[in-house]
Formats: sequence, structure tokens, C-alpha cells
Amino acid sequence: MSHSEIYEAVIEHIVERAPDTRSFFLRPPADQHLTFKPGQFLSFQLPGDAKTLTRAYTIASNPEDAGPLEICLNLVPNGPGSRYLFTRRVGDLLSFTGPWGAFVLEQAPQAESIFIADGTGIAALRPMIQRALHCSPQFPLHLVYGTGREEGLLYREDIEKWGKECPVFTWTYLVSDPTENWSGLRGSLLEQVKRRYVQQDENRTRHFYICGIGKLVLQLRDLLRKAGYERRAVKYEKW
Amino acid sequence: MVTLHVLFETGDPERVIEFDPADAPFQDDGEPGSILDVLLGHHVPLEHACGGHCACTTCHVIIKVGENNITESEESEEDMLDKAPGLTPTSRLGCQSVIEGGDITVLIPKYTINQQV
Repeated sequence: MSHSEIYEAVIEHIVERAPDTRSFFLRPPADQHLTFKPGQFLSFQLPGDAKTLTRAYTIASNPEDAGPLEICLNLVPNGPGSRYLFTRRVGDLLSFTGPWGAFVLEQAPQAESIFIADGTGIAALRPMIQRALHCSPQFPLHLVYGTGREEGLLYREDIEKWGKECPVFTWTYLVSDPTENWSGLRGSLLEQVKRRYVQQDENRTRHFYICGIGKLVLQLRDLLRKAGYERRAVKYEKW
Repeated sequence: MVTLHVLFETGDPERVIEFDPADAPFQDDGEPGSILDVLLGHHVPLEHACGGHCACTTCHVIIKVGENNITESEESEEDMLDKAPGLTPTSRLGCQSVIEGGDITVLIPKYTINQQV
């Protein structure tokens, strides 16, 4: 019993962003205008073996973009939703409802803000950071972005461009299992956040936006809230 | 056996489901044995835009009877419920609230949240 409008979009193009990680660019029909807030997701109805699957994917593109909607996901070996999507080709149709979700950022935060992305969690944070940067931010914005291997760091070109264009924006890449060619930081996201934002100073005025997959997101939430950050200043989305 | 009474704010007729919690899960979405799982598994629709992962409030339900027959809510569910329209002291997310036993009556609200700009 869905009370929501169902959009039927054509896959306009597909980009291989990393091994087993793809962006699908979706163009809804011209008479179906979809507006959304940075951080929101779409709910897809995908055919499964025995029944229709409901799968949510965050919109990785910006609301201001005139182009198609982008969703970015990795192939989950036992995940029927991603397995189905990875068989889709340009020109195929996908049905979804939305936008949904309250993990959003509409204006530049009124405090120093830390965006923490785990893997493809960057998809939700990308439009949020871009919105903040377009709103003349007065406070520092920092992205801490962790992955297993360095090739899993997505949107690096965008991230580094934001840093060049906007002095309040800085970033840290963190790779837990790098190749020997990686010269950047190594280690776990949890330890890095603990060291930098819990142990290093007493400042508890920061805001956090955390997005990722699995228990790590809740561990980060608990770490920061228990360290004295305001409950509502630690926002998160766990997939 | 558990008896779950389902009321609809839309005025749709009440549904009554009898089931054994030991038979859960009844389908794939939400926590096994949750209100969402039981409803979908017995062909009673309940919106769940995020797929039952505690990432939206579209499966918001209000417990009218039997609040103590359902597992207690965790912090993630409370954080999410903060954003639900029409929040009540006995509001729960259908995908997270697992039925443990006894009789329960839930009300499905008329509106779910769709944060469109």
C-alpha cells in the first residue's frame, strides 16, 4: 500500500567507479519532476526470485544538478538487490519511490562540522558537503573518509577540488588495508576519530554527519555521544 | 500463539493475525518477528521505504495494546522516531519492534513521512 508516486526512470549511463562499485545515472520521464534534499534516498522496487524487493539507495548527485539522478553502490555477493542492479544495462528502466529520509543537510552548519564516510557512505555525504560549500560556510568543514583499499576511495577528484576552491574545507583519507603504493594515512576510522575528536582536545561543540554500512556507524555514534558531544549534534545513517 | 490486531487510521477494516513467533521470519524485510515482518508475511501491507533497516520512519506504528509484549526500542530506533510525524508515547518503528508474545493491537497511521522539498 504505497501512497507515493512511482517513478520509472531510464538508465542513461553507468560508470565503473571502483572494482565492484558502480554509479547508475537515472533519468525520470520529463513529466515526473523529482525534487530532493542532499542526503535523501530513493526506494527501488526490484524483482527478486520469489517476490519484489525493496532496496534503498542514496542519491549521490546534487539537487541543483540539471543532469540525471546518480546512485552509487557496490556489489554485495549475497545481496539480491545489488546483484540485480549490476545486471542492468543502459536503456533499462528502474522503478522507485521517494525521495525519503531525514538524514539531510540543507544549509551550511552553524558549527565546525565533521563528515565521516565509510566506503560508499560517501554517496550521501557528497551532496551534503556540496550544499554546505555553496552556502558560504563560516565554520570549518572536514571530511574523514575511510575505505579498505585505496582504489575504493570514490569522488577523489571532487573532494580535492572542493579543498582547492574552498579554504574552510579539508579532508583526510584513511585506508585500513592499503597496497604498498599508498603513502597516505593507514588505520581504522574508529581509532582515527577517537584520536582526533575525543582524545586530542576538549572541544565538544562540533557537529558530525556519519554515513556507512554496518556496525561501525553505531560504534562511531556511541563513541562521540559518550565523549560528551550533544546527541543531536551526532547525526548518522547506517545501511 | 500471538494475536495481532491491526487498526487502520484510514478507516480500512481491522485485520486479525494469529501466528507463532517461533515461525519468524515470515519474509525478508525488517527484524525477524517484527511487526513489519508479521504484517508483510500475512499480506497486510505496511510502507517501508528503506527496506526495513531503521533508516526512515515510513513503517511508524502506534501500539494501542500490549506495549510490554514487544522488545524495547534501541537508540537507533529512538533517533529515527524523533523524526516521525504524529509521534506518540507508544510509537514504534514496525521494522524494529519484535513481538515476543501475548495479544497486541497496533494502529497504522494515515500518513508516513516523505521529506520532499
